[in-house]
Amino acid sequence: MKVGPPTRYLAGLLALAMSSTAGAQTTVTLPDTSQTTTMSANVSEQARVTVPATVTFSVTNIGVSTAATAASVTADQIVTSSAAKQLRISLQANAASFTPPVAGSVTWSAADVSWNAATWTNATGTAATLSNSSYNTVATCQADATSCSTTGLVFTLGAKPTVQRSGAHTLVVTWKFEGI
Amino acid sequence: MGLLIASLLQLAALTAQAPPPPETPRPLSFQATLDAIRITVRPGQVATRQFRLTLDRDQQATQFKARVEDWWRSVDGKQSFYAEAGTLRRSCGQWVSINPVESSVKPGETLTIRITVTMPVEVQVGGFWCALTVDEVPDPLEAAGEGVGVRFVASVSTGIFVYVEPVQREAAILAIRLDGDEARIQVRNDGNAPLAIEGRIEFFAPEMTTPLATTELGRRTVLTEPSREGMLTAKLPSARVLPSGRYRVRAVLDFGADHYVGAERELELVRGEVQERAAVP
Repeated sequence: MKVGPPTRYLAGLLALAMSSTAGAQTTVTLPDTSQTTTMSANVSEQARVTVPATVTFSVTNIGVSTAATAASVTADQIVTSSAAKQLRISLQANAASFTPPVAGSVTWSAADVSWNAATWTNATGTAATLSNSSYNTVATCQADATSCSTTGLVFTLGAKPTVQRSGAHTLVVTWKFEGI
Repeated sequence: MGLLIASLLQLAALTAQAPPPPETPRPLSFQATLDAIRITVRPGQVATRQFRLTLDRDQQATQFKARVEDWWRSVDGKQSFYAEAGTLRRSCGQWVSINPVESSVKPGETLTIRITVTMPVEVQVGGFWCALTVDEVPDPLEAAGEGVGVRFVASVSTGIFVYVEPVQREAAILAIRLDGDEARIQVRNDGNAPLAIEGRIEFFAPEMTTPLATTELGRRTVLTEPSREGMLTAKLPSARVLPSGRYRVRAVLDFGADHYVGAERELELVRGEVQERAAVP
């Protein structure tokens, strides 16, 4: 004697009880409860990143270097294909020098900007100098970390005693997040 | 008196119509797929993939521009270089097209870029690579800040690796070094395609057959040009686990072939002073 799953018997009894009140009997083929549906989700490698929009240097003495207020950088919801893969955060200047308030006047070069090896959560910070020809590492998130962040990234602008014009000296700098 | 009142009223009206002072731009926040695209193709074949970027809901509409470019890294891995597609001999840039190239993304919206790789009929065997770069385009209407400052934009790059069989994966370990609290393994790619290399370092006390400590090496992509060499690094275990002393240091690397590559060297490890934690009463 073959014994089916209990659910089949329950369903069969239920069908019998219902048939006593119905005018006619109908044979119903019940679905096999042992059948399953496999659901799969294809999860991409991904991360959510939050970077500051600006950093301002309050230069009150061009003869000494000026540190900006500490900046925050966060990468979270990190999903990688391997426990060994790491998210890398780096910076490159979009130009060789700042744009001075008056065309042609002396200003800072990109290489006058540097940053500290900040204390990161789940990442190793790297001190470096800004370049306009290469992306230099700011931090490498630890392998298998789901997030990494800092609130203590300090950018420093070097001394430039030859600057003569006050006003807005600006430079565009790119944060790079690499999945390579 | 009447003229003064009229002037004051005019000034008040002008002040009311004046645009508000520029706000400090809020941090840029978005989510992006970071999958390196790895495809094995035959000459003449076409393959497509997608890249997605979703802007956070609290952001302003942002313009993004995509392009395909060449990419490589310094031997120590601390610098990345990007250049026009075709700069490297093994660039796949000429076979890759993307759509759309430029798009404005609203808060909470997802930008989807389709990447199509169209292989020529005649192509060399081995590995080729390039990168999809998606840049935030600076808003030209955004007011320049006061004083000396840096305006940041964000960029995401994902590698595109194209393999044409037969692909030869060969790697050699050139050096094992201990430097401060870091272990460094220098490797060389002896094959005809980029290698994604990862692995571990085992530390053996003299005469021991089981490792005293093991540390994992972060994954590193080692290309075939402009340099075939690369450095894998790992932070050493704490000085309590691995104090100063002489060790056999063994590196075991997985480079995607059907076998690992390993090397062993006896090295003197000098640690900094171990800070003892104060006893809790």
